[in-house]
Amino acid sequence: MKLLHLVATTVTGLLLIMGSLDLAETGDPAAPAATHVSPRYIESSLEETGVENMVTAVLADYRGFDTLGEVTVIFTGAIAVLLILRTGLKEDEE
Amino acid sequence: MAILDGAAGHLNTVGYIVLMMIGFYAMTGKSNLVKKLVGMNIFQWSIILFVVSLSAKRGASIPIVLDGHGGDAARVLDAALYVNPLPHVLMLTAIVVGVAITGVALALLLQIHRQFGTLEENELLERLRTSTGS
Repeated sequence: MKLLHLVATTVTGLLLIMGSLDLAETGDPAAPAATHVSPRYIESSLEETGVENMVTAVLADYRGFDTLGEVTVIFTGAIAVLLILRTGLKEDEE
Repeated sequence: MAILDGAAGHLNTVGYIVLMMIGFYAMTGKSNLVKKLVGMNIFQWSIILFVVSLSAKRGASIPIVLDGHGGDAARVLDAALYVNPLPHVLMLTAIVVGVAITGVALALLLQIHRQFGTLEENELLERLRTSTGS
């Protein structure tokens, strides 16, 4: 069984490496990721939001609702942890 | 070696794939549930590192404008001087979601350990089989 897992892991890794060779080279300024959407944020986020840190500007201004959803995820996770742990205590008491 | 020449610009990607496969092997090949969870975290972090590495740009600096409020705020910045901020933002969200997932998973594992006294997959399956049979 261990051998089967190792073979599956190796084959998957080799396939991923073969696929990743078609990606743009790391640090290439002409890569698609660096030329399509991001120049818009870099060029005008300071003017539009007044935030020096572009990551903060995108996180809290352009994607404010995304961050709100993120907080909801954390809240749901905390509630789930509390419920799971409390359930166990009740069953122990019974 | 043509494949090595092709991989020269992708060495970090190859490293992340190796990391991802370590996590994959830990998730599928290990029978301890805590080790599976650690493997899932390694897998997740390999993806996060990979996406952050997509933001790299040769000759660019971190996406923070120096003297952003002191200078002319209306000036247009050169996009080639700053790395892509979007992968950073998206992976910040992914890290937060990952922390929530890890927390819930650890709570579930704690609960499983309280109920069954073990976190080994084989023993748990055996325990479940005998409990449903009786």
